Amino acid sequence: MAEYFGTAVEDIFNTMEERFLSEGTLDVDVTIGYNISGEGGGNWKVTIKEGTLKVEDADGEVTDCTAVLNANAETFVGVTLGKLDAGEAFSSGNIKVDGDLTVLVAILPKAFKPFKPVIKASAIVESVEERFLPEKAEGVDIKIGYDLSGDGGGQWTVVVKDQTCTLKEVLDDDCTVIMRMEAQVFVDLNQGKLDGGTAFSSGQVKVDGDIGVAGQSASLFEKYVAEGAAEEEGEELISLKCVPSINQRYATGPTMGKWFDGLKEKKFFASKCPQCGRTLVPPREICAQCRVRCNEFVEVGPDATVTLIDVVYYASPDPLTGKIRETPYTALFMVLDGVSRDESFAHDLNPKDIDRIKPGMKVRPVWAEKRMGTYRDLLYFEIAD
Amino acid sequence: MAKKNRNVGIVGIGQTEYSSHKEHQNQAEMVNEAVRYALEDANITLDDIDCVLHGNMELFEMVFQPDMWHSLGSGAYGKDQFRITTGGTTGASLVCAADNLVASGMYDVVMAIGMEKLQEGHTTGGITNMADPLWFRHLQTGALTATTATMMMDEFGEERAKKAAMKYRILMDKHACLNPRAHRRFGLEYEQADDLMNTSPQLVGELRLIHMCSQSDGACVMIFASEKKAKKMCKTPVWIRDHITVHREETFNNFGIEMPEMTHHYAARKLFERNGIKDPVEYFDVFEMYDPSAWWGLDWAREFLLLKDDEHIKLLEDGEFDLDGKLPINPSGGVTASNPIGATAMLRPAEAAMQLRGDAGPQQIKKKVKHALASGFGGTLWSVLMMLEKDLDWQEVENG
Repeated sequence: MAEYFGTAVEDIFNTMEERFLSEGTLDVDVTIGYNISGEGGGNWKVTIKEGTLKVEDADGEVTDCTAVLNANAETFVGVTLGKLDAGEAFSSGNIKVDGDLTVLVAILPKAFKPFKPVIKASAIVESVEERFLPEKAEGVDIKIGYDLSGDGGGQWTVVVKDQTCTLKEVLDDDCTVIMRMEAQVFVDLNQGKLDGGTAFSSGQVKVDGDIGVAGQSASLFEKYVAEGAAEEEGEELISLKCVPSINQRYATGPTMGKWFDGLKEKKFFASKCPQCGRTLVPPREICAQCRVRCNEFVEVGPDATVTLIDVVYYASPDPLTGKIRETPYTALFMVLDGVSRDESFAHDLNPKDIDRIKPGMKVRPVWAEKRMGTYRDLLYFEIAD
Repeated sequence: MAKKNRNVGIVGIGQTEYSSHKEHQNQAEMVNEAVRYALEDANITLDDIDCVLHGNMELFEMVFQPDMWHSLGSGAYGKDQFRITTGGTTGASLVCAADNLVASGMYDVVMAIGMEKLQEGHTTGGITNMADPLWFRHLQTGALTATTATMMMDEFGEERAKKAAMKYRILMDKHACLNPRAHRRFGLEYEQADDLMNTSPQLVGELRLIHMCSQSDGACVMIFASEKKAKKMCKTPVWIRDHITVHREETFNNFGIEMPEMTHHYAARKLFERNGIKDPVEYFDVFEMYDPSAWWGLDWAREFLLLKDDEHIKLLEDGEFDLDGKLPINPSGGVTASNPIGATAMLRPAEAAMQLRGDAGPQQIKKKVKHALASGFGGTLWSVLMMLEKDLDWQEVENG
């Protein structure tokens, strides 16, 4: 089985069930397809629906998915483990998404705990020679047997003699001590998740032979550190995380005050430059070009002509609320009826019109029932037909 | 040209590498790294610096008075120091201010620092705060917009516009791959263009992830000296000929049925006029442009170089913006490769000056580089445009 960064592609899918966070996905209904190319790759289909998860090994092509992620095995594993930068993998095209990208960005972090590489008992035992500390083994002459059952298990003998260490893939008869346990128990002991004394007294570990040797043997070896985890463990640098939240209030001044007052009455007011005659929307106190005050207001709109349409798929925080915006949303640039031709104005577009909207179209405002003199007095603009 | 009391030379340049993460150092340490490189490059010590300029955007990292906190790394302790924070143009404004301070006779040697650690905040959230809180902030999405993409597809046809923007993007990546300090070096090939055009995730309309600038950590430091001092302390000072700063877009009101002259075009027209530059493509040997996205980079080439119709697309298609072309654009890889925002607009004159000195490294242009153009951008399309010269031999032009 091909491994990348010490992890196989199927490890990631096999652990989805235990990493699944059903409470984060109560209002979700998506199917995500994975086409993982290269050695160890394959096709998977992951369905998340109202707090439930289904992971299928899709033979061949994945179909009927909300989004399909395409990547080679190394990139997929690297990004999942955080070894490769996800943004760069997307940017460079090493990961491609067909369909709704927001599914991956918005839903996956809510749906799963981060993947941690699966540590196998065999990997721990097989690294014993590298982890051997000869200076601690002066005068030691022992044979430690391991009999580990279950997935990732096996039988080994570790021979420590003359300050050298050799590993044999058989269980010798003349071991000083033999430790028998489930492979997973062995992993947990090595990872510090399970206390040795507890494991022994609860019968999870069975020891044949010299119990004292079993207890001391740990000191002859460096602690096992999973591939990739080494840097993190050795890292002394820290970063602090904080989310500042600041309440702010902005004065409108009389000119924008006039504008917001107008919105309450479903009216748009532009200010007008007494010198060049252009209209400014929303109204501004002065004409920056002529450097004169604009004290005159004219009613404009309410319909408008569309000039540009920005459909936003990238979800970012709204600094006014601190919440991540729902996507897609549309920044609609338009010229209100009766306004200078070079003066655009912007608001939202009714989401139902996203597929139909074109520059040059006429749009009309849709007002909120309750109007308080704010941006949200307008729900959005929509195609006027 | 603008009246100058005395000439100002660039005598030292220092840059960190640019990357998405710099957890191994804090802000002051990162500043210090670039300060040390610049002092080394100028072969002077902090004792020779009369005044320090500092610039970044405190909204991004949410550290107010960063110049104060960074004085540990900048060496500004006990020296005159000013902070300049003009959004995207910060780095270019720092260079303009340093030039003004030295040219005025106020100081002989000025050190300017541009820095940003975008990883420590939220870039798009920070930029969105620039918009009017009463209206446009509800709609703005940082610097992400596809308005230029839409207009270019409208003008040149969807296929040609998309192909050209992607060619520009891949060209920038090819340049970035040469630059050992560049943040993003993908190794893109032109054969990938069609694929990337269709599969790179859409951010806004046809502005896709691959088109957009990076979010980088890094710092750039430049040292400026009066002509007399520069000649004494440096074998190859680079001369600041002239620069212009243009603020002409009041708000986001300029997407009407008729569009006003773009700030970039206005800046170039005024600057070239007062310096007697008739044909900028012919005159300049390198252009380091603040190109926040591939669409903007290509479109703005037309504005800054006063080109007409599809001349900019033809130049790109004919390879004239390549490293061995008529006017190489961004040998450094530009902003789509590296974007530590407070330093980004300073990287433009810094990289251009290194081209003029001839020691830009692997991205050095092979033919002789005598005249360089550098631009900065920020806010509601504000513009800074700057001319750098290898030799002090340009013709003064009479103007009002």
